[in-house]
Amino acid sequence: MAVITISRGSYSKGKEVAEGVAAALGYECISRDILLEASDRFNIPEIKLVHAIHDAPSILDRFTHGQLSYITQIQCALMDRVKHGNVVYHGLAGHILLQEIEKVLKVRILADPALRVAVVREREQVSEKEARRMIAKIDEERRKWTRRLYGVDPWDSSLYDLVICIDKIEVEGAVRLICQAASQEAFRLTEQDRQKLRDRALSCKLRSALLDLDPNVTVTSEYGNVLVFTRGDDRKAGRLEKKILSVAEGMDEINNIEIRPGEPKPSGDA
Amino acid sequence: MEQLTTEMIMVMAMICVAVFLFIVEWIRVDVVAILVMVALPLLKLVSPQEAFVGFSSNAVISIIAVIIIGAGLDKTGTINRLVTPVLKIAGNSTSRIMIAISITVAAISSFMQNIGAAALFLPAIQRVSKKLNIPISLLLMPIGFSAILGGTLTLVGCSPLILLNDLLAPFHLKPFNLFDVTPIGAALVACGIGYFVLFGRFVLPRQGPSEETQDKEIPFSLTDSYEGMGEPRELHTPENFTHYREPVTIEDVRRRYLVNVVAVREPPRFTTFNPPGDMELRDNMDLVVYGSEKNIERLAEEEEMVLKPSLDVFKDALSQENSGTVEAVVAPRSALVGKTLAQAKLADHFLVTPLAIYRQGRTLVTEISNVTLGVGDAILFQGTWKRLKDLQNEKLLIFTTPIDMEEMKPEKAAFAAFWLVLALTMVIVFKIQLSVCLMTGALGMVITRVLTIDEAYQSVDWRTIFLLAGLIPLGIATEKTGAAAWIAHQVLGALGGSVPQIVLLAVIGILSTIFTLVISNVGATVLLVPLVVNMALAAGSDPRMAALVVGLATSNSFILPTHQVNALYMGPGHYRSVDFMKAGGVLSVLFLVVMIGTIYLFYL
Repeated sequence: MAVITISRGSYSKGKEVAEGVAAALGYECISRDILLEASDRFNIPEIKLVHAIHDAPSILDRFTHGQLSYITQIQCALMDRVKHGNVVYHGLAGHILLQEIEKVLKVRILADPALRVAVVREREQVSEKEARRMIAKIDEERRKWTRRLYGVDPWDSSLYDLVICIDKIEVEGAVRLICQAASQEAFRLTEQDRQKLRDRALSCKLRSALLDLDPNVTVTSEYGNVLVFTRGDDRKAGRLEKKILSVAEGMDEINNIEIRPGEPKPSGDA
Repeated sequence: MEQLTTEMIMVMAMICVAVFLFIVEWIRVDVVAILVMVALPLLKLVSPQEAFVGFSSNAVISIIAVIIIGAGLDKTGTINRLVTPVLKIAGNSTSRIMIAISITVAAISSFMQNIGAAALFLPAIQRVSKKLNIPISLLLMPIGFSAILGGTLTLVGCSPLILLNDLLAPFHLKPFNLFDVTPIGAALVACGIGYFVLFGRFVLPRQGPSEETQDKEIPFSLTDSYEGMGEPRELHTPENFTHYREPVTIEDVRRRYLVNVVAVREPPRFTTFNPPGDMELRDNMDLVVYGSEKNIERLAEEEEMVLKPSLDVFKDALSQENSGTVEAVVAPRSALVGKTLAQAKLADHFLVTPLAIYRQGRTLVTEISNVTLGVGDAILFQGTWKRLKDLQNEKLLIFTTPIDMEEMKPEKAAFAAFWLVLALTMVIVFKIQLSVCLMTGALGMVITRVLTIDEAYQSVDWRTIFLLAGLIPLGIATEKTGAAAWIAHQVLGALGGSVPQIVLLAVIGILSTIFTLVISNVGATVLLVPLVVNMALAAGSDPRMAALVVGLATSNSFILPTHQVNALYMGPGHYRSVDFMKAGGVLSVLFLVVMIGTIYLFYL
């Protein structure tokens, strides 16, 4: 029982690998569907979510927190899906969206540029030059995205537990390697780990519900005991508190909720 | 007959002023007593030596000594042991507890000084009140009155009756036997107890320790703010608790259920207070927890523990006498400002458990050890009083609830009991003066380190001492100026020669009652017995019965806090003079009716 994220360079056969791993382990394979789920749940056009997870934040985004809020919604949908374990997620930023969760097997699939160009040319029916330009553009965009939002480079191999260059290993070989890695004790979810996943999903859910009122709100949860850290701005405090409590009322998973205005936020929480 | 002199008028005026001040309570009763003590020598009604003679009087010194002995017995748990069987019989009902202790005190009081019995039981009654959460005012007055009434059970129960035979000797009247008064005494005790059982709730004020503490608190109530966090609950882990289960630690319980474990007992009898977070819960463990009712119930249900209806194994160890919760506020310039509880390590250093933090209208219970403390944060701590006192002494926090600490010394119980027995033996067998015997016992307590001398001084209630010592010169002045004799002559003279015996006895009873309220019961007896014997002889009534009425009625002192027992219980019971007038007034009338009735029916 594990959670596996497969980060892939575009046109690197990552999708095939993910589906192969899910089939081999009997896990659920999720990717773009979490965008649809977030779009449905939060009533946001899917295109905005695609941009949010794809494009580097614009200057405007940095002021309005627009992109951040979309990412929070996506993260919320993702957490909701992975909270029970047995999931393979492939798509951009899985390793980042789930970065706080231990025991997630983070895999990066790479491919030789020549192979990628060939795939693009085949799929998109474009010239080799155009294919190279497209790949370079996508890579650059993603690099900017992760750098701006999370300060890391997706090409940094230390972010992953396993980096597989698909050229010679092929999809089947990669599936075998990943299944083997996933069977290790370090990635097996205990009841405690599953509780942490549930708590994380809960805090993401609450935070995404509060974003429109205060994008700086931080939420933590442990065994359903929720702490909401706000900036302690007196002007908004009453309204925010009311909203927090009314949102929390509908969440049965919450055992206790406390609001901590003006307290330093704990690092690495939703 | 003596003429009414200016001194007599001044003394009577002084009595009126004192009684008036007792009633209106513009100033506290003990201050009234000091006022009397100072005014009398200034008006030259007594000599300066006589004004302060109360402080060296047998009664006052005896009271000081007996309070110290009582404190020693209490500190060693001796009184607790004595009271436990009584409470077992009485259960939790206020009436039954009152009856049980009243009968015990009355029985003891029949053989020793009323004040001695009353003082010895004061700490025990305070303990019972606190333990069972009964307002102390509902217990002290009935028990105090029973101590006074118990003095009428035998001829050695109170000073006036002890004196009686000596006073009858000059008239060659047949002396009374030890148990001659017992039927009257028993009727009086039964009447007193019955009166409080039936009407206590109407005549007694309902003030308890809780009200007293509230006065000292900042204006919000502890229990309201902390949502029932202040009450300990006891849980028991089943026999197969550790089977098929991930280990559960104290910290797990805190983090998962927001419930603080403050004590555990493992079989056979290993007890740990404020256990460390990594301690694992095992089979057949008893644990005491603090938390909201909802969370404790959730813990019990999810971890399959048994939630007991009340403290059971830890009933004594974590009773309100030994431990509890207090609230402390982070003071400006405190070293705690800007630190978290985890950083300050208060729980480790002082072995107390922080239960909650109250901040700007919010009660925080989740991960409070990581909350950065600010000025004005109130923290609810649980611990033994001793450990909480240590924390208070560190001066990091301002405690808004007074610490009810009492360090027990059960290992000194034998010493405490020895000094009590020695003092009583000296009184009963060697007939040495009461104050000397009791002071020997009190000194013994200090020498054998049952109490430190400072604790002994602190245990004495100086309100009582000044109240009694201050009124003694008033009695002296009343007798010395001849005012008492004048009043007695006037009243008895007004009756004339031929009145029915029952009327004569009733008047003697009323007169003795009034006298004993102002002058000492011994003084009243010495003054009145010769007068009433002569009166009775002249009127053809039974002079022994007339004398007996005086001896008994001088114990009928319930209307004012001037009797030693009333003075002693007034402070701890938070009574006002009005309370004595209300509850004692009715009892005084009942006393007279029962006494005259019993004498009339069985003795004449």
